[in-house]
Amino acid sequence: MNRIDEKMRVLKDTGKKAFITYTTAGLPDMETTEKIMFAQEEAGIDVMEIGVPFSDPVADGPVIQDASYEAILNGATLEKIFELMKNVRSKGLKTPVVFMMYYNTVYHYGLEQFVKQCVACGVDGVIIPDLPYEEQSELQSYIEKTKDATILLQLISPVSKDRIPELVKDAKGFVYCISQMGVTGGTADFHKNIREYLTHVKEVSPVPVMMGFGIKTPKDIESVRDIIDGAIVGSHFIKLLRSSNYSMDVVKKYIKEFKETM
Amino acid sequence: MSKNRENKYFGEFGGQYVAESLMNTLEELERAFDEAISDPNFINEYMYYLKEYVGRETPLYYAKRLSEKYGATIYLKREDLNHTGAHKINNVIGQILLAKRMGKTKIIAETGAGQHGVATATGAALFNMECTIYMGTEDIERQKLNVFRMQMLGATVSPVKTGSATLKDATNEAIRTWAERAEDTFYVLGSAVGPYPYPKIVKEFQRIISTETKRQILEKEGKLPDAVVACVGGGSNSIGMFADFIDEKDVDLIGVEAGGLGIETGKHASAMALGQVGVLHGMKTYLLQDDDGNIQLAHSISAGLDYPGVGPEHAYLRDTKRATYVSITDKECMDALMELCRLEGIIPAIESAHAMAYVFKMAQNEYKGKIIVMCLSGRGDKDVDTVAKYMNGEETNK
Repeated sequence: MNRIDEKMRVLKDTGKKAFITYTTAGLPDMETTEKIMFAQEEAGIDVMEIGVPFSDPVADGPVIQDASYEAILNGATLEKIFELMKNVRSKGLKTPVVFMMYYNTVYHYGLEQFVKQCVACGVDGVIIPDLPYEEQSELQSYIEKTKDATILLQLISPVSKDRIPELVKDAKGFVYCISQMGVTGGTADFHKNIREYLTHVKEVSPVPVMMGFGIKTPKDIESVRDIIDGAIVGSHFIKLLRSSNYSMDVVKKYIKEFKETM
Repeated sequence: MSKNRENKYFGEFGGQYVAESLMNTLEELERAFDEAISDPNFINEYMYYLKEYVGRETPLYYAKRLSEKYGATIYLKREDLNHTGAHKINNVIGQILLAKRMGKTKIIAETGAGQHGVATATGAALFNMECTIYMGTEDIERQKLNVFRMQMLGATVSPVKTGSATLKDATNEAIRTWAERAEDTFYVLGSAVGPYPYPKIVKEFQRIISTETKRQILEKEGKLPDAVVACVGGGSNSIGMFADFIDEKDVDLIGVEAGGLGIETGKHASAMALGQVGVLHGMKTYLLQDDDGNIQLAHSISAGLDYPGVGPEHAYLRDTKRATYVSITDKECMDALMELCRLEGIIPAIESAHAMAYVFKMAQNEYKGKIIVMCLSGRGDKDVDTVAKYMNGEETNK
């Protein structure tokens, strides 16, 4: 069973919500990324998103843009991130890992080879913000051919509206609801119809519903806490890493506190 | 949801590689465009502004001295004589009229050389729209005059410092802003790139170039030209120049990309030279990229051609061999630019001088004695600083 599905089952059985964080691989280097991953697991994170840096991250705001740029300068490549994954899995990392990346990186690597490597290296899910539902069939065809393959997670936006049922129809793992229009790293100024939108998704989705974009603290999600199954923190987590000079204690404290409050 | 994915493609190129939040916006845009383009009132209004405001039609000028010197019959389609000095305004008028029709009150645009930015700022003033132009800081430095023009016209020029700080990064920033504000904001895309339906929209609003050219050449020569030539960055003037000739199989279509310091140096902007397909700015097309799939910096003396990709229809025309794409180096282009100044009294944009340089090669070789029509896409006033630097042997870009 895919680690994401397994984790979602456990959370459901225990009535808990998921907490998911995002870090850019190779920021500031692969060794530190590895430490961050194990620190997160120790602190009880439910799913880790690992950002594969790309030169032109159009879905990201300034924090993740800068993180990607720095990681690329420091030599982070998809190949090296697969190596990192192989390495952390061999050292016993159990937590589900999701790659957040742009389609050109996947396409350039080769779709078939990419799907194979995800399985071989223990990548449980992939989020590709510039690969909307209509463009997914090529990649999905390779995923469907592969046993225990990685899950292509679906993103949903506040303006998806009548598209929502189709988007979630065959969704696996969890769905990622974007809290607002625009890019990552804004404030917790959610879309005006946020409750209505999340409720719609929740009603039709066969899998848990997570929300991300603009979340920093548990307080930020209070207004929608009763609807969603979990929260995703990206830009704020990167800021925290940078401002604490990659202190693993700060990472663990932040995750523990967030999880407890949720 | 739209099921016919294929009609959003040109062969294997194009598509809609955008955030989920833009998918409904693209569908709304496509519907609005299809309605507008088949509405005689819309077309009449568009044609009214092209004639009365832009100053069309533009001449198809027989370049007598160039023809005599180089040995072919050379015609120049004078898009440089349009209001604002380039072909860009054709598309801007069309897109802003469409934006108004869709009830949008704000427009945003990206710009490289500044020509599309100036054209958009002009259209925004004319149609009373709030306007923000995204421009790379590298280009702002290279094109100060155009930055000031946009500001005079009442637009806000928003500097983009990320990445290479050129056209590709300005486009990224415009896409980000659009994803946030699509409800009241229209993205006026300047080149034949981006997610479908943009490549189609830009082509239709630039088609006027070839529609006029075809009529004019038949009047002057009584037959179609042997070849049609245009420079290609993203590919807007070239797709407009090709449009009405694509079905005329006896007319050769030739696109000229920027070869920078030479393809072999790696410092160029010829997306098609290496033939690598990828995904950027919402489309699948030929792209300059490195071994890891990151987009590579384009290099050209011309800010307007300094783009690592190319419009998807051009990629398709290349693969189906309907059009041929070649490249011209910075040096060849600057020699041609001076030649056009001295022999015809026309100071062309550096972008257009790339096409000119290739026309000279053609005229002396396989097109000797034949009829060549070239799109002179813009005037060179904006480039005078760059030309001066080049002639003094200073560095013109990084």
